[in-house]
Amino acid sequence: MLRSLRCAALLGSLFLSASALAVDIDQASYGFPLTNPFEATIATTPPDLRPSLPSNDEINQSDYTLNMRPEREFSLPDNFWAVKKLTYRIAKQDHAAPLIFLISGTGARFDSSINEYLKKLYYQAGYHVVQLSSPTSFDFMSAASRFATPGITQEDAEDMYRVMQAVRAQNASLPVTDFYLSGYSLGALDAAFVSKLDETRHSFNFKKVLLLNPPVNLYTSITNLDRLVQTEVKGINNTTTFYELVLNKLTRYFQQKGYIDLNDALLYDFQNSKQHLTNEQMAMLIGTTFRFSAADIAFTSDLINRRGLIIPPKYPITEGTSLTPFLKRALQCDFDCYLTEQVIPMWRARSDGGSLLQLVDQVSLYALKDYLHASPKIAVMHNADDVILGPGDLGFLRQTFGDRLTVYPLGGHCGNLNYRVNADAMLEFFRG
Amino acid sequence: MAKYLLLLAALMCASVANADNSKAHAPTVVGADGFKEPLSKLKFNPGLDQREFERSSLTALNVYDPLESWNRRVYHFNYRFDQWVFLPVVDGYRYVTPSFLRTGVSNFFNNLGDVPNLLNSLLQLKGHRSLETTGRLLVNTTLGVAGLWDPATSMGLPRQSEDFGQTLGFYGVPGGAYLVLPILGPSNLRDTGGLLVDYSAESQINFLNVSEVSSNHPEIWALRAVDKRYQTSFRYGQMNSPFEYEKVRYIYTESRKLQIAE
Repeated sequence: MLRSLRCAALLGSLFLSASALAVDIDQASYGFPLTNPFEATIATTPPDLRPSLPSNDEINQSDYTLNMRPEREFSLPDNFWAVKKLTYRIAKQDHAAPLIFLISGTGARFDSSINEYLKKLYYQAGYHVVQLSSPTSFDFMSAASRFATPGITQEDAEDMYRVMQAVRAQNASLPVTDFYLSGYSLGALDAAFVSKLDETRHSFNFKKVLLLNPPVNLYTSITNLDRLVQTEVKGINNTTTFYELVLNKLTRYFQQKGYIDLNDALLYDFQNSKQHLTNEQMAMLIGTTFRFSAADIAFTSDLINRRGLIIPPKYPITEGTSLTPFLKRALQCDFDCYLTEQVIPMWRARSDGGSLLQLVDQVSLYALKDYLHASPKIAVMHNADDVILGPGDLGFLRQTFGDRLTVYPLGGHCGNLNYRVNADAMLEFFRG
Repeated sequence: MAKYLLLLAALMCASVANADNSKAHAPTVVGADGFKEPLSKLKFNPGLDQREFERSSLTALNVYDPLESWNRRVYHFNYRFDQWVFLPVVDGYRYVTPSFLRTGVSNFFNNLGDVPNLLNSLLQLKGHRSLETTGRLLVNTTLGVAGLWDPATSMGLPRQSEDFGQTLGFYGVPGGAYLVLPILGPSNLRDTGGLLVDYSAESQINFLNVSEVSSNHPEIWALRAVDKRYQTSFRYGQMNSPFEYEKVRYIYTESRKLQIAE
């Protein structure tokens, strides 16, 4: 009897320790108005529910460049002159303060709208803020990436880490008290790997790391994104392409409104008008932007590595050369095509073979499971209706992060980051 | 009896055929870990072999651009000019002037620009818009002290820009070849012509005597150019793509179509 009690106690304590539960935000009390994940992803939060932020004029910020890969000055064609050096943006406080690095998402530059938003949010709260391009971004690939074949997250993180060290060196006189790290979407995955790298290199000793809407299984995410352009969209026929369909709707919307007014509320207002897009149309639109990112990545990687898949290796390019024929080819290549044609061959050559499954394991959050589980400084915020997740991914996050995971019921992919409730939670995490 | 049954069956078939077969209103199934599977709300093309993205994008790339090589060089020139001259000057301007002064300058030049806006609204026989722009001119020039303030916008008379390129487009003149103008940026044959007409109209009308004064004082032109750049949010490199030229070309062409149609 006594023994069974003891057993029960042991079991009970085991369960208790294992079940540090994720924070699930209740939909009713959350108050986010967009219940449609695609609408949330495109339009993001309605303007009056966003936090009040300083304008750019009130921020002491400037853009700097780093010469990370001097040889690219000569190996890249003339019309890449603007991306031979890596640009980043830093906003400085006039007193000693903690510094936060922000990493952009897939294909996005340091000044993507979400990064700009996060900058304002953290700057207002008293942080120095450094905005960095994603390793999948065109400028990062040309100016800072050693292999210019993003997708192997470990390698991307090493490139990123070097950039961060160079940023620190370039601003050596800036009084920094602590270092923090955050990223959204693919940038959050990069942030996790950078944080892991920092455990051995100790350049920053990040005090806290926040991952916003990271992909869990990178392959699931790119498959989902590739699939978005396969939705059956009503209204497309032999004479009307998808873009014409959307532009016609936009034209009619402005005609009914009486004048053209481009502002923050435009998309939200548009979705509440008669001309609103259906789920399939919105999915197609999201898929389209990602396909353009995929085309940029595939073209840039092919060009820098002279693989000859999209552009012949010795094709002469000057500032007057038309790139349209190559855009036409690159457009046919989605993420899956980029992965199979460029990432996997390079990865196999450099790592003695290995299967797709092994690659996926290495480049996704799975690779860091033990580290993430044991590091109390890392937290995740995610949405239950995020399009880049697959079944079981939230389960993985729950197991790995326990109570350091916050799951919001709505928001789509990053659509609720600029909601006041989320903004408060993000600030609170770094403050605490 | 059989007839009724047949009718009923036919009706039911019809209603099935008419039913909205999208999955938008299907109840959300929440997984064991709380995942809502947003993709289950979409209706996919069963073979996943639809080429609509490719078709749309390839069609969109067909913009008439016979001077592409020249245009691309000008585009790169503009990019450099913007980075090395224009934006640093705008930053300096932002640094030395208080925000209310910059807003005043923008309002002043926008008020001047309302003159061609009015002319072109009239030429397109847009009565309502012409009235609104007239109202704007009257209110802003008097109450707004020669346009330094913009009380009209807060009175519900938003600025609605119309230029001669739009007027030509309104009467069916096609855009013609795509052109990248030095410093001014993307345009086409029609809109470049329109620009010249608007410019000469403005100097003929000589509203508030600005055109005459600025012919002796080039600094007014410089201020106007700096203000124009200050008001334009576009930054080169912002699209972050090796294909920015193509994207700007498409967006310019489509946004002009939209402005003309509206």
